[in-house]
Amino acid sequence: MKFIVSSSNLLKQLTSISGVLNTSSNLPILGYYLFDVKDKKLVVSGSDLESTMISEINLDKADDDMKVCIPAKLLLDMLKTFSDQPLTFSVDAKSFGIEVSSDTGKYKLAGTNGDEFPRLPEMESSSSLKIDSGILFNAINKTVFATGNDELRPVMSGVYFSLEKDGITFVATDAHKLVKYRRSDCKSGKAASFIMPKKPLNLIKSLVSNMSTDVEIEYNETNASFTFENYKLVSRLIDGKYPNYDAVIPKENPNEMLIDRQLFLNSIRRVSIFSNKTTHQVRLAIKGSDLQVSAEDLDYSNEATERLNCNYKGEDITIGFNSRFIIEMLNNLESDEVKLLLSAPNRAGLLSPSEKEASEDIVMLVMPVMLSQ
Amino acid sequence: MESSQSKHILHLDLDSFFVSVERLLDSRLDGRPVLIGGTTDRGVVASCSYEARAFGIHSAMPMRMARELCPEAIVIKGNSGTYSKYSDMVTEIMQEGLPLLEKTSIDEFYADLTGMDRFFGCGKIASELRQRIIKETGLPNSFGLSINKTVSKVATGEAKPNNQLQITRGEEKPFLAPLSVRKIPMVGEKTYQTLRNLGIQRIKTIQEMPQDMMQQVLGQNGGMIWKKANGIDNSPVIAYNERKSISTERTFDRDTTDVLKLKGIMLAMAENLAFQLRRGKKLTGCVTVKVRYSDFQTQTLQARIPYTSADHILIEKVMELFARAYNRRLLVRLIGVRFSHLVGGGYQINLFEDSEEYINLYQAMDKIRERFGDRAVMRASGLGARTISRSNPFNGKAPMLLANRRS
Repeated sequence: MKFIVSSSNLLKQLTSISGVLNTSSNLPILGYYLFDVKDKKLVVSGSDLESTMISEINLDKADDDMKVCIPAKLLLDMLKTFSDQPLTFSVDAKSFGIEVSSDTGKYKLAGTNGDEFPRLPEMESSSSLKIDSGILFNAINKTVFATGNDELRPVMSGVYFSLEKDGITFVATDAHKLVKYRRSDCKSGKAASFIMPKKPLNLIKSLVSNMSTDVEIEYNETNASFTFENYKLVSRLIDGKYPNYDAVIPKENPNEMLIDRQLFLNSIRRVSIFSNKTTHQVRLAIKGSDLQVSAEDLDYSNEATERLNCNYKGEDITIGFNSRFIIEMLNNLESDEVKLLLSAPNRAGLLSPSEKEASEDIVMLVMPVMLSQ
Repeated sequence: MESSQSKHILHLDLDSFFVSVERLLDSRLDGRPVLIGGTTDRGVVASCSYEARAFGIHSAMPMRMARELCPEAIVIKGNSGTYSKYSDMVTEIMQEGLPLLEKTSIDEFYADLTGMDRFFGCGKIASELRQRIIKETGLPNSFGLSINKTVSKVATGEAKPNNQLQITRGEEKPFLAPLSVRKIPMVGEKTYQTLRNLGIQRIKTIQEMPQDMMQQVLGQNGGMIWKKANGIDNSPVIAYNERKSISTERTFDRDTTDVLKLKGIMLAMAENLAFQLRRGKKLTGCVTVKVRYSDFQTQTLQARIPYTSADHILIEKVMELFARAYNRRLLVRLIGVRFSHLVGGGYQINLFEDSEEYINLYQAMDKIRERFGDRAVMRASGLGARTISRSNPFNGKAPMLLANRRS
């Protein structure tokens, strides 16, 4: 079999799906790309068993149809060095030896039989919906940072998709912080829910960041696939019951603070430099329209205090937080002003933008740390 | 930078400290053999008077053996509160006149006098200080003065009782040479035996050996011992030692297999240490459990955990480790708990696992303990464990170190 492909085009497609490859896997086949040539089209796949990414390239010239696995690292390293030029791939049907010819020379790689590549799961009894790529990007971007890393609690390592007739809710939590992002401008034909692992979501996020297109989501009990432009990602879903997030979001929050987001963020960033390097703990003391942000690291006698003006309604309160969480959250909001709802020093704080789009609703929840008197 | 050659390090030690304090309180003890320490069969001698030492008694010796050696000795249980008070008085006097002071235990101090000689002369400052302590507190004390901590400590040992010794620069090796290797700090009973079996008795012999040979025989420690024997020690005087771990352990008067009792004590120890963490605004990242059987076989297990100071997490982890560590059907002599990898901070509340009631309960219990003492409230299953309260380990003071635990 023989086909000709532009080196830069191939490199672009291979790099965009290379994120899925797991270099530390002990399954050798996962270090390969699957090249599937069919009807003058090249379909390239990469996989880590959990998720598979597929990209399609139109070929100018191809003779036979064939499937072959090509070592990913070798191929990528080679392609990176070429200026744009047509490359001729010829594959020996028996030995799966691959020969690449460029303007300047010939390169031989040892491939393997394409049938050895992990097969895509069959999507039986699946349902589907369409969602705008910009909305999906926002939804992933605003939630995925809040997912956990605890292997003992796999459900928290993904983002929960709750599909309803009047909107879609995306939830992520690691038991210390939680983000609930709801869109009412995209709808699903039927109510359903699933948990997507974070790795494929991050891959989708980076691919759709500059696109304006529709993403087709197809899902069943065990798998979900995302199809957009010439890409397709199929991922296994996380099995398990997602925690009841609505029950832990406090409903009664009598204390309300409005503050400039950028000022608040800068202040916490600065003060947290002086906090303990492991716990990153900062203390917020709100009194009248006065917010005091402070941190200390007793081991090094480091200490910092800042005063900010805020608009506060409620009782005086002193509450401790991990500054990392607050910084991540403020970074993922866009509004000029944010609203922090508090009830007690032992209860969650709720962060949200002070003004928002009609079709969008976002709540970020952060659990405090216990302060001893 | 001044080289280590020009340093002046003072080591000051209160002579038979506990006994001296008891004698201040009761002059009838003067001139008589006095033993202070645990009065039960398992107790050890924490401190003994020079009169008692004449009978061959030394600190860390089992109390039973000491009583056999000297039946007429007066045995006192001792009161750590009183001793701390006197120790603080001495600390205050020393802090007044010295630039850099390290308190390594309740009755032992190091001070860096480097630079003071330009004004007063180090020997003069030190002897004036010694006299002041005697005058103001009535406690006899001894000091050694030299270029580093090791030599000063050995010099103090040679100066005792109630005296002083200054080693002039360059005289360190000749001073150490004729002494027994047992006098080197770090050399305990076991190392001493190893050295004696090698035919090494005097420090001079170690000085004449190549360092590599010591390292081959005693490993890493061998190299350290060789350096100390040659009067080489660059460790600085550190004013304040941040606690790296907190621990508690309990040796039973009578070895036991009563699992309920063991578990109760484990729980009480974990609960108390967790409270100490919260009081000191600390979190722990590593839990260790120790079980020693009657045949002195010791099993320790440790586990890394996410940083926490919450009772329910720590107690659960301690109990789980204990269940795994206690796996022989044998009498238990000692059990202990240690929390290490300490960092400053408060417990990060969990959204799903912690209920508000629990957090409020902890805070309320901590408040009660802060006001009425460590044992004012506790879990009922830990009630059986009697002697597990302790002073605040994070107030910057040196821990109460008993004689038998000193290295």
